[in-house]
Amino acid sequence: MDLTVTIGSGTLPNPVGVASGTFGFGEEYGRLIDLSRLGAVYAKALTLEHRPGNDTPRMVETPSGMLNSIGLANPGWERFRVEKAPFLRDMACPAVLNIGGKKESDYLELVEKCEELDCHWGYEINISCPNVKAGGLAFGTDTHQVESLTKKLRPLTKKPLIMKLTPNVTDIGEIAKAAEAGGADAVSAINTLKGMVIDTKKRRPVIPAGTAGLSGAAVRPVGVACVYRIAQCVSLPIIGLGGIFTADHAIQYLLAGASAVQVGTALFVDPRIPLQVLEGIEAYMDANGFTSLKDFHGHF
Amino acid sequence: MEQFHSEVISCRESARDYYELIFTWKGPVPLPGQFLTLRCWEGDSPLLRRPFALSSYDAAERRASLIFQKRGPATSLMTHLKTGDHMDILGPLGGTFPPPETGRRPVITGGGIGTGPVLFLADALSRAGLRPLLVLGFRDKNFVPRVHLPLGCETVICTDDGSAGQEGTVIDYLRSRDDLAGSHFYGCGPNPMLKGLHELAVEQNAPCSVSVEEVMACGIGACQGCAIPVNLPRKFLRVCQDGPVFDSRILVWT
Ligand SMILES: Cc1cc2nc3c(=O)[nH]c(=O)nc-3n(C[C@H](O)[C@H](O)[C@H](O)COP(=O)(O)OP(=O)(O)OC[C@H]3O[C@@H](n4cnc5c(N)ncnc54)[C@H](O)[C@@H]3O)c2cc1C
Ligand SMILES: Cc1cc2nc3c(=O)[nH]c(=O)nc-3n(C[C@H](O)[C@H](O)[C@H](O)COP(=O)(O)O)c2cc1C
Ligand code: FES
Repeated sequence: MDLTVTIGSGTLPNPVGVASGTFGFGEEYGRLIDLSRLGAVYAKALTLEHRPGNDTPRMVETPSGMLNSIGLANPGWERFRVEKAPFLRDMACPAVLNIGGKKESDYLELVEKCEELDCHWGYEINISCPNVKAGGLAFGTDTHQVESLTKKLRPLTKKPLIMKLTPNVTDIGEIAKAAEAGGADAVSAINTLKGMVIDTKKRRPVIPAGTAGLSGAAVRPVGVACVYRIAQCVSLPIIGLGGIFTADHAIQYLLAGASAVQVGTALFVDPRIPLQVLEGIEAYMDANGFTSLKDFHGHF
Repeated sequence: MEQFHSEVISCRESARDYYELIFTWKGPVPLPGQFLTLRCWEGDSPLLRRPFALSSYDAAERRASLIFQKRGPATSLMTHLKTGDHMDILGPLGGTFPPPETGRRPVITGGGIGTGPVLFLADALSRAGLRPLLVLGFRDKNFVPRVHLPLGCETVICTDDGSAGQEGTVIDYLRSRDDLAGSHFYGCGPNPMLKGLHELAVEQNAPCSVSVEEVMACGIGACQGCAIPVNLPRKFLRVCQDGPVFDSRILVWT
């Protein structure tokens, strides 16, 4: 049985990774689970400068999910290079750097800098960030911005380039096409959905920023539908995520057209879930005579 | 830190809406101030593991305890725990209460959901022969937990209405004492109590270590979700990893 996933110039040992922002830079969960069994660690968003993060509280539980407003809190490039990169380099599974920014040049400069390092397998570009030059509209909500950014990033690296799409758009398929036109090697979907919870006693949103990102089981059907739509629009590999808690959920994403998956919020419920998901996918492939991940595609 | 299976030894109501949960402990030895996250239910609702501070650890029997308040969905489910029920535990997590500065007497204050960790601390410091002053505050006598109080410390109970122990808050009581110069203050409980303790410590130029609470997701330092604002250049620290016990002077008191 072949569990490998090829994305651009790279190959992942298996399809199950852990989602950006839920796994830090790998050290903490590395003390609880065997990282060598993961397909990839998608690291916490990295930005050029240190980001202290958003005001608190930053999280609230919602029906079968949670809202978060972390604000891309991260140590910034300089401290990342010294404090985090060595761990990622020595880690027993591929590391994918999740890149954030406020304007196009931030992304380009950061990817150029990261090219000096040897700690990572590839890039996942977080285009859910607001673009200050486009009036705060997220990069990922506009096909022109997505194609332009992807085109400019492409020549900077030979490593796999994954554009991570936001579901907060009218047609995620159009955005995926823009990423493909720009030269991306893959797309991942979905980032969090926009949501809000209001404290009726205090008469204001629980999260100071107002809206925040919804994740967890509640978003799974949205994520599966997004992956299905993307698969109809592009021939790029798709990495599916959003609310994966069991192998069955991951298999839904694979059947919808994904070639790999990520587990995020479920880690907060049980850190062993990514490894259980991988075992379940293997068992399903075994039981159904699948020899590679391609066998999940084209059933409907 | 380890993730392990635990069995409930007992769960009983120890005061109005407060429960003492005793359970088997297979992880590394926990210290006062540390906490665990647990799940003892299936499915998506409630979703996240819930954090609780430890209230005791018995090394010989390999059992630990916590005191929880019935507040919402998770703690309501926990009130139904019975002997032999299974729990999924991640712990011990976070840092510990620091030892008292040399020559200073530990003055430990607690109340509400902060009762558990201060009992654990008072017990450990008593065993070390430091004879702490333990001051516990509750709304009225119905909220005073019927739990084993640590031996070897001076224990004072305060209630807002005077229906048990001293009348008034923990802070009122501390301010009525004139022998507290040279203390190291410790606290865990409602924010007004911690703020009052901090102010008292600042007036007395005494160290003050408080344990605080914030909503948690990972509980192990990975997600940055449990951040609280601090008076340091980095602006925020994580309660789960950098705390939950902090020097009160670095916290932002509003
Ligand atoms: C380090 C730490 C130690 C704690 N120790 C104790 C203890 O010893 N005894 C005790 O009774 N309680 C303790 N708590 C609080 C306890 O975790 C909450 O009461 C519990 O999570 C409530 O869950 P619920 O579903 O019953 O209520 P909910 O209705 O979900 O929440 C009630 C309140 O609990 C808090 N809360 C909710 N979800 C979380 C979460 N995932 N993490 C943290 N807080 C949350 C929120 O402030 C919320 O307003 C501690 C919290 C922290 C962070
Ligand atoms: C606490 C938290 C932090 C996150 N931080 C990031 C981030 O830094 N970059 C990013 O691209 N996505 C981030 N995400 C989104 C997740 O990677 C993922 O796309 C989303 O949560 C849906 O998957 P899930 O339901 O499995 O969590 C974050 C999600 C959570 C819950
Ligand atoms: S709860 Fe995730 S960092 Fe503290």
